[in-house]
Formats: sequence, structure tokens, C-alpha cells
Amino acid sequence: MQMTYAEAIRDAMRVELKRDPKVYLAGEDIGVFGGCFGVTAGLLDEFGPKRIVDTPISENFIVGHAVGSSACGLRPIVEIMFNDFIAVCFDEMCNQAAKVRYMFGGKADVGMVLRMPIGAGIGAAAQHSQSLEGLLTHIPGLISVIPSTPADAKGLLISAIRDDNPVIFYEHKQMYGMPGEVPEGDYTIPIGKADIKREGSDVTIVTWSWMVQKSLAAAEKLAAEGINAEVLDPRTLIPLDKEAILKSVAKTGKLVIVHEEVKTSGFGGEIAAIVSEEGFDYLDAPIKRVAAPDTPIPFSPALEQAYIPSEEKIIEAVKALF
Amino acid sequence: MDIQKKQLLEFYQQMVTIRIFESRVCELFAAGQIPGFVHSSLGQEAIAAGVMACVEKDDKVGLHHRSHGEMIAKGADMNKMMAELFGKATGTCKGKGGSMHIADMDLGILGANGILGAGYAIATGAAFACQYNETKDIALCLFGDGQSNRGPFHESLNVAALWKLPIVFICENNGFGLSNPVKEHLATDCVSDRAAAYGIPGVTVDGNDVLAVYETTLEAVDRARKGNGPSLLEFTTWRWHGHFEGDPAVYKDAQEQEEWLKKDPIPRFAKQLLEQKNATQAELDEMQAKGEALVDAAVKFAEESPWPDVSELFTDVYDRQM
Amino acid sequence: MVSVGIIANPASGKDIRRLVAHSITFNNQEKVNIVQRAILGLNSVGVEELIYMPDYYNIVPRAMACMPGDYKLNIKVIQADMVMNGIQEDSADAARLMRECHTGCIITLGGDGTNRMVAKTCGDVPVLPISTGTNNVFPRMLEGTGAGMAAGVVARGLVNGSKSIQKNKKLKILKEGTLVDIALIDAVVLKDIFIGSRAIWDAERIKQVVVTRGEPDSIGISAIAGNLEPIGTLDEYGMAIEIGQGGDITIMAPIAPGLIRPVPIRNYRLLNLGEEVKVSNGPGVIALDGEREIEVGENDEYFIQLTLDGPNVVNVRETLREAVQKGYSRMGNL
Repeated sequence: MQMTYAEAIRDAMRVELKRDPKVYLAGEDIGVFGGCFGVTAGLLDEFGPKRIVDTPISENFIVGHAVGSSACGLRPIVEIMFNDFIAVCFDEMCNQAAKVRYMFGGKADVGMVLRMPIGAGIGAAAQHSQSLEGLLTHIPGLISVIPSTPADAKGLLISAIRDDNPVIFYEHKQMYGMPGEVPEGDYTIPIGKADIKREGSDVTIVTWSWMVQKSLAAAEKLAAEGINAEVLDPRTLIPLDKEAILKSVAKTGKLVIVHEEVKTSGFGGEIAAIVSEEGFDYLDAPIKRVAAPDTPIPFSPALEQAYIPSEEKIIEAVKALF
Repeated sequence: MDIQKKQLLEFYQQMVTIRIFESRVCELFAAGQIPGFVHSSLGQEAIAAGVMACVEKDDKVGLHHRSHGEMIAKGADMNKMMAELFGKATGTCKGKGGSMHIADMDLGILGANGILGAGYAIATGAAFACQYNETKDIALCLFGDGQSNRGPFHESLNVAALWKLPIVFICENNGFGLSNPVKEHLATDCVSDRAAAYGIPGVTVDGNDVLAVYETTLEAVDRARKGNGPSLLEFTTWRWHGHFEGDPAVYKDAQEQEEWLKKDPIPRFAKQLLEQKNATQAELDEMQAKGEALVDAAVKFAEESPWPDVSELFTDVYDRQM
Repeated sequence: MVSVGIIANPASGKDIRRLVAHSITFNNQEKVNIVQRAILGLNSVGVEELIYMPDYYNIVPRAMACMPGDYKLNIKVIQADMVMNGIQEDSADAARLMRECHTGCIITLGGDGTNRMVAKTCGDVPVLPISTGTNNVFPRMLEGTGAGMAAGVVARGLVNGSKSIQKNKKLKILKEGTLVDIALIDAVVLKDIFIGSRAIWDAERIKQVVVTRGEPDSIGISAIAGNLEPIGTLDEYGMAIEIGQGGDITIMAPIAPGLIRPVPIRNYRLLNLGEEVKVSNGPGVIALDGEREIEVGENDEYFIQLTLDGPNVVNVRETLREAVQKGYSRMGNL
């Protein structure tokens, strides 16, 4: 059925709240208020305050308590209101959630999900707009999921909730209102499987989250100019479906990586390195990256639009390879 | 309150066993047999013995990293503990945690923690799970005076009090946060004073008196189990050694150290047992010998245990190979 | 040199009764605030020197440090020359030193326990006790300013009426004829065998009670006496009570903050000055002024004696009334 991205996320949580009594939600203003972007609207009425837990403004607690409660068998889905705030509770993910299983010799399951909205474009400026998905990929022990469509959001979130590892689930603010066809009921997508959003033969565009939508639009324009681009969405950064990327590059011989993160130390660098190491022979052109510039995110709409990678920049990067 | 003779003797056995274990660990560290860092709890045995006698196997415990004593008193296998400290495959955490990150989920021990102040939220999350599951289990969160200054202290105590979570926060005030004496790192000097900020009971008790520790903790645990919410206990004691083994502790006042050594909790309790005819000297000697034998066996076990296979480097990062 | 002492106990108001009863946590910053106001009170009535007990929280130095800059204090503030051990005997050591330095009054901040220690060594020096403890009968809840002013006029010898400074009773704890300890309000024999967390909150563990006084609104074990037959500070008798089944009376008494418990009375009698009560056979523990203090062995023989040689205690209201009557509140008369 047709659902927006936000509705699909809510639907996934509803399915799991109904299926497993150990699943609960915790975060700031997720109850009566329904979440800062309305994603959890109505869940308090449906499931009650035991399952939908409003917390004080206490990010250390929100994330840290989920490590403890999941290690004790619960299935917390916690929300941090903006991805930027991960900086406030970095220890809880980096040193606790990520390492507990390993440090304890495999004796603890930290089956928690951390949901965070990412992305610029709403005039929220430097501290409420970042895309920091690359940051936590550097910490072994965490899974990073970053869907680009309503259906992927639902299927991957249900899988994330059922996973026994700590999963970070990145939602893009620009897509919350975006509709799409979403399967009803229990629907899962395996974590670690890339999806080819558009088949093509001339160039591979590896991209995720909102940039998938921009890349698809760019691909249509490129097609009009005779360049047939393949758009590959890894959907999860950790684990990364390397085989799918290498297979696509083997087919097209060219690779453009598009992400909204800043360029330096963005996850695109990692993908470029993997393809260089393991798929160098497939390449007949240098790898190109389209990313945000290495600046904080500006407030002024005029500057913000210049900051976000655009269709034009994607088209330009692709054309430079031909 | 009545305490059975059996329990009194158990206190003594625990304290001498911990004393012997910790003394031996310090020797082994100095001899180069134990790698990494070791933080000795010598002098603080009464807290471990008194506190852990108040909880059941299913109760959850979050620790700091001067916590060998608490592990032993909660019933951890000393052979495996010693092997863990050696980094051997037979260790409590397969040799992957070491002294600072030792944990035993089978005993509800949510880990020593290398990050001071990270344990509050984890233990509070465990208490949340106890409340959520409607069991009668409770959680303990132990920490030092130094880490009481971390921000997460406030977040967790606030929420624990707000939600009446079944948890007891226990500060082992051993006089120092690494090299800083209490008067140089605590604005209010007395950690239990902070309880007033959360509207919960705050109690300061002599931490070198095992019976006072036991009696106080028992009441706080009972309060938590009955659903009356958290308490903040402060047990005053003294860290005999430096912050870590090898720290010459030049910042300590020699006279103060001398005074505190006279307050050694073990001979003090022995005297009480003898005077009240709850134990004979022969019984005390026997317990000492038993402790020695247990620790001898643990060292032997650790020494004879194999190193972990290099393949273990890659296991337990996630619940599956990624 | 007109000198006043201050003994402020940083450990008072933090014991287990916050868990088992409904006491508040008395934080040390509040003690600093009280001391600050007391010093201003002392200074205002012309006290020249303040000697204070050192403590780990530095209560008096902190009070001085946060004194507003525009206050011109004439009073000299000196730390007592003593070793601080962080134990309750510090208070007794400080009081002894203050007596030897001829201080004219000692202000105490603490509970019954703190004042018991001070009373052991302060001799005839008047004591002005401010309550910062748990269930206090001996010290009162007082505002620091008035307390400082009253202590000052007493120290200067301007006030000495019998209402202003009152001689208190006490209990002597004797073991084989030798004085081993004292109590100001109550000595309680318990079934416990160890001192542990010190406090008392379980009525069922009480075997025997001896009090110097007790009012129905007292909080603590002396309330048992107060609810049988009230005894005031100046009454020249006390009471001995045996607790347990077998008597005709069960009274309700607030034995700790918020804990109003039925207490079965086996028998009780009034106690004359000088009279002794035998402590029932051990093993047991004797609690003094609310704190378990003495472990009684099976064959130990203890007696508790009521006497009238307790400390001289300053009544703040009566003292200041007497000062007003003598004209000292008028500018230029001090």
C-alpha cells in the first residue's frame, strides 16, 4: 500500500511492538508530541506509556540505558532527535554498545536500534543538519542502516529491530513525506544486501539515503544524453555489500560515489578504496566523488542550497568520465 | 538486626579471599605476568563483601574498574577471572576484556567499565529492564568518588528517581579520583549530599565496617525491590595503592595513609568476631588458608591455560561473521 | 579576649535513617550557611575571636570565603590546634581545647550524637546546640544569626540568668564502677549484637530505655518516655523503661522521623538523680543518644546512672530577652 517514508518507519515499529512484548521505544518527545518529525505519532495511544517512553533531555541516558536494557533482554528502539546530537552520547555508542559483546567474550547481545534523522535542506544550520553516517562506521561492532525509500525503510527497520547487534538507523528528514509502495504486515529486507535502484551499463553511481533520489533524477537526464547510469544503493554501510558494488563496476567500468556527508573521511572514500584495492582492473576511468564541501552547514538558504550535492553536480561528475 | 553466624563468617571469608586475590594480582603484575593496567581494590574489601551479600544471582550489577572484589563477592569463578587478567583463552571473557572490562552476564554482572561514568546509564537501563519485566530483580550501580563528577551521573540519577527504578547507586569514596584528593575534585565533598537534588535518600556510612555496609545496602535493596525507587549510598574508605599498579602515589599524604591503614577492615572485623565469640582464631586461620588455596589454584589455572587462538581476534565483534 | 568556639560536624544528618525513616539529607552547604550567619551574629555583639574545629569539609573556612566583601569583620577566626581524624572523637578533642582556651561559649552544629561528644569534655563552658542532625532532642532547629548573637552575649558574660543558661541532666554509663561513656538524652539497650550502621529504627529490637527527659513531640527513643509521662529539661528526675510484652500498656511513639510505632511497655518507673539502672544481660548493644555505641558481652555488667552534671546549655530566646532587658540591644550599650 502507499505510505510515506515516515509512515513506513512507524508501521515497522508498530509491527514489532505488536509481535514482541520486549520491544519498546524511548526518546525525547516521542509520546504525546509524536516525535520532532511526527514519526511516532499515535503510538502512545496505541501501545501506552510502558512501551512508548518519553525521556528527559538526556542523550547519555537514552543511549546508555538501551545498552543495559538490551543486554538484559529487552529490545529498545531509541531515538536521538537529530543525528548531530550523537556527539553528546558518542561514548555510549563508540565505547559501550559497540564493544560490549566483544569485551564480554561474546556473552552479551546488545539488540538495540538507534534511530536518528540526518540531512540538510530545512534551514536548520550547522547543529541540526549533518549527515554523519560515516562517523560510526569506523567503530567495529555497530551496524549502520540507511534506507532511501519507504519500502526499504520498513523492511530494514524490522530486520534491525530483530538483530542481536546494535543497529544505527539513519532517516533522512527530506524524505519523511515521500510516498511509495510498501508491503503490508511483516516485511523484512536482509541487512547487508545492496539494491540496484536503476539498472544501467555505462557508469555505476553508488549512493544512499536522499542522494539516491537525486541520483535517480540525474540518471534520467543522463539517459536523455545517451549515458545509461546504474544507481546502486548499498542500503547498509556496515555490513557493506562489496560484491554487489564490485559486480556493478565490473559491468560499467566507471564509478561515481554520491553522498551528502562532507567529502573528507566520508564513507565514499572507503568505497573508493575498496574498489581500488579489489576492482582496479575493472576501472577504465578515475573514481569520482560527489559530496558536500568540507564546511559546516550554513543557515542562509542561498548558501545551504550550494552546500547540498545537486543533480547538476552529479551529472557533471558523471560526464567528466566520458 | 540479626545476622546469622554463617553470614558473618561468609563476610570474613569474602574479605580475606579478595585481599589475597588482589595482593597476588599486584605481585603478578609487578612480575610482568599480568599485562595492561591493574587497579587494585586493596583496603576496600568490606564494601565488596557487604554489598554483594545483599543481592541475588539474578540481580544486575554495573561496576567501575576497581572491581575484582565485587566480582568475587558476587560469585564469579576466580580461576576464570585470573585467566582473564592474564589474557588467557579460558578467561571470563575469553581474554578479550581484561581487568578493566571484565564481566559475567551469567551472574548479572554488566561489566567493569573502562570509561568512568559510563556505567550509570547501563545499570539504570538494567533496572529499567527489571521494572519492565515486572520481576523482583534490582540493579546496583557502583562507582568511585572521582567518576561521580561525570555528567551522566546526573542524567541517570534524575531518570532513576523520576521513574522510581529499582536501583541502588553506590559510591565507593576511596579518597581519590586518580591523583586528586576529594577536597580538590568535589565541590560538595560528600557525594550523598547530591541525593537531595533528586529527592531520594542519601546516606554516608563507614565503608570499612562490613556490617554497616551490609545493613545499609540491605535497606536500600529492600527499598528498591519494593518499588520505592533508588537510593544513593556513599561508603567512605581508602585506596591503599596508587590509582593503578605502578603509580607511586606521590600525591598521598604519608600520615593520612598511615592513619587509614590502621582502619584496615579485616583485622577490625576479626576482632569483633573473636570478641563476640562468633569465630575462633582457628576458624579465622582456616578461612585464610582456604582463601590462599583458592587463589593459588586460580593462578595455577591461569598460568597453565592456553593463549587464545588468533582466530578469536575476529569472533564476537557481531553475533555472526559479517 | 572574648572568645567563642564552633564545632560543626560534617558527618551529621547523613546516616541510614534517610533510608529506613523519613529523614532529610542535611547537606554540608547548609551548615556553611548557618555558620556564616552565626559568625555575623557573633561579630555584631563584639566577640573578638572564634576558634573552630577543623573538619574535612572546611565548614568554617568556606563560610568565611563566601562572606560578602563589604562586611568589615572585627572577629578573628582561628582554627583549633588539633589533629583531625575524621571521627566523632574530633568533637570531644575540640571541645576540650576550647575549654582550655577559655572560650566563653561553644556553638555546636550536629545532632544528639555530636553534642554527646562535646559534653564529655566541655566542662562548664556553656553550649549552644544548633540541630543539623536527624532526630534531635538536645539541639534545636535554630536560625544561625540569633544563635550567634546569643552565644556572643553569653561569652561576654553579659547574660547569666538561670533561664538563659540551664544546667542539663545526663546519663553515665558505668562498667564495673568505671565511667565508660555518657548520654545526654537516652541510653537504649538493644537486642542487636553489633554496632553496624549505628542508628536505631526498629522498635522490636529495644529491650530497655533510660532517659534524662522526653516530650510527646520528641523524635526518637525518648519519645517513648514522653508518651508515657513527659519529663522536661529542668525536672529533677528521669525514667527507666523495660520494653516488651507482659505489661498493660502499649503506647504510640515517633521513634524516628515519620516512624510512629506501637511500643509495648513491660514496666516503667521514674528515676531519681543519682539512681542507677542495671543493663539487662548481654549479648546486646547500648545505643547512646540514638547511636549504637557499646557492644555488651554475655558476662559484661553495665549500669546507667542519672546525674545533674550535664552541660550548661544556652537558651537562645531567653538569653536574648535577658540581653534586651538589660538594654544591650540599644545602640552604644554593647
